[in-house]
Amino acid sequence: MFGKGLVTGMSVTLKHFFGEKRTLCYPEEKLPMTERFRGGHLKLNIKKCIGCQLCAMTCPNNALILKVTTDENKKKHMAEYIHNLGRSMMCDLCIERCPVKALSWDKNYERAYFFKDYMIYDAVEEYDPEPEEGGQKAETITPAASNSPPPAAPAVNDKGGDET
Amino acid sequence: MLKTETYTLNMGPQHPSTHGVLRVELELDGESIIKVKPIIGYLHRGIEKLLESRTYIQCVPYTDRLDYVSSMNNNFGFCHAVEELAKIEVPRRAEYIRVMMAELNRIASHLVFIGTLAIDLGASTGHLYAFRDREDVLDLFDLVCGARMTFHYIRIGGVARDLPMGFIEKARAFIDKLPERMAEYDDLLSGNEIFVCRLKGRSVLTKEMVLSHNMTGPNVRASGVPFDIRRVDGYSIYPELEFKVITGREGDNWDRYRVRFEEILESAKIVRQCIDGLPEGPVMAKLPAVFKPPKGEIYSRTEGTRGELGFYIVSDGTPKPYRVHIRRPSFVNMQGLNDMCAGYYIGDSVAAFSTIDPLMGEVDC
Repeated sequence: MFGKGLVTGMSVTLKHFFGEKRTLCYPEEKLPMTERFRGGHLKLNIKKCIGCQLCAMTCPNNALILKVTTDENKKKHMAEYIHNLGRSMMCDLCIERCPVKALSWDKNYERAYFFKDYMIYDAVEEYDPEPEEGGQKAETITPAASNSPPPAAPAVNDKGGDET
Repeated sequence: MLKTETYTLNMGPQHPSTHGVLRVELELDGESIIKVKPIIGYLHRGIEKLLESRTYIQCVPYTDRLDYVSSMNNNFGFCHAVEELAKIEVPRRAEYIRVMMAELNRIASHLVFIGTLAIDLGASTGHLYAFRDREDVLDLFDLVCGARMTFHYIRIGGVARDLPMGFIEKARAFIDKLPERMAEYDDLLSGNEIFVCRLKGRSVLTKEMVLSHNMTGPNVRASGVPFDIRRVDGYSIYPELEFKVITGREGDNWDRYRVRFEEILESAKIVRQCIDGLPEGPVMAKLPAVFKPPKGEIYSRTEGTRGELGFYIVSDGTPKPYRVHIRRPSFVNMQGLNDMCAGYYIGDSVAAFSTIDPLMGEVDC
């Protein structure tokens, strides 16, 4: 009978009309990001950084422009760590290449800007020593996650993390 | 004396049913189509040229941007080609994870096909249901690699990181739910008379046509040619897995829809076998600090979601490839567009564009 399929289809939508809600009212409610989420600004731990510049060398798109100074003890320090988000592919190669694991993402996914220049920032200037006290594994609450109930972050098995 | 003239109509590049930025010149006689000419190049980024100035390891994130709906398959294709060139042995666990990811991505990509086909035929509800289920696959990928579209997870020599805790349970739950979800699509779309009438017997591609156009993937299987590189070449661990090569009979729009529909369930079976047989071990082969494949050239093909995805790489022994050519299945499949549309009505062209499933990131490269 013509029209039977239409009625069956309508019954499916009607069932879901009263079913579980799958959407989120975005600006009010926010999804927590996952443990491995790649995005936002790069966080550089200046205390750990040894100034080897491998991150800039491994970047496929030249998104990182660094300036390194050497002090009287011949120890290298990062003076400027310019990251151009407009060029960045968020491919994670810089973070994986870092021999001392000084880099991480800040996981802020709200990255819409009015001007191109706003995409360029200095990670050294943004360095905030406070949350780094607990070491690399410190629980970082992102601005995105702060308004929502605490995320059920899955424990990560990182044994296959390093390569090349 | 009365005489009639043909009429040329431009469709796209902003037309919603052209899946991106495809422009099509339709030559019309009244309401029936005489000739269709696709005009491409609106999304050209020169990826083949870009790869020449990057090292092999830096090349991988660029392959994400080819077919951005199934990035895992592109990563897989490129890494497979480089590994064949440099004769790298990939750990077993990594092979299982790769196949699992590629098949999950095939499910996601075919769900996008079902969703966009529904919305092209005016059923916007079907679109939302398909994207709801695709979201579950993307959530799995988000857990694994932290990205929802450009994954950059499969690397040369293995995969980037091991699976996170809880991934296996979540993947299994998704696979268990999938047949029920697919039955819902049957109720929503496949049983709908309007949907069936728009697809059955329309845009027929015969066996001879698809072979002469060198088409691959679900489009060729819908015409009754059982050509699947996973079965023909048997790369990676596919020879050890059980799966059916789904074929159609008529080669019309309906068969192209059904083939992809059934392939989702076949891919789910493969994922289940991968989960059950997942061995322990490392996920990355040992690579030298500066990776240089030996001099030589290679053409390696894998089954992408849209057909034969081939990478032709020429190496001159330096860390950067001398030349990379990518055989993009969507680009080759576009050849069949004229045969699919000529002789049918203008309303059918929208369904034809949709069932050929082109992805402009891949067509223009």
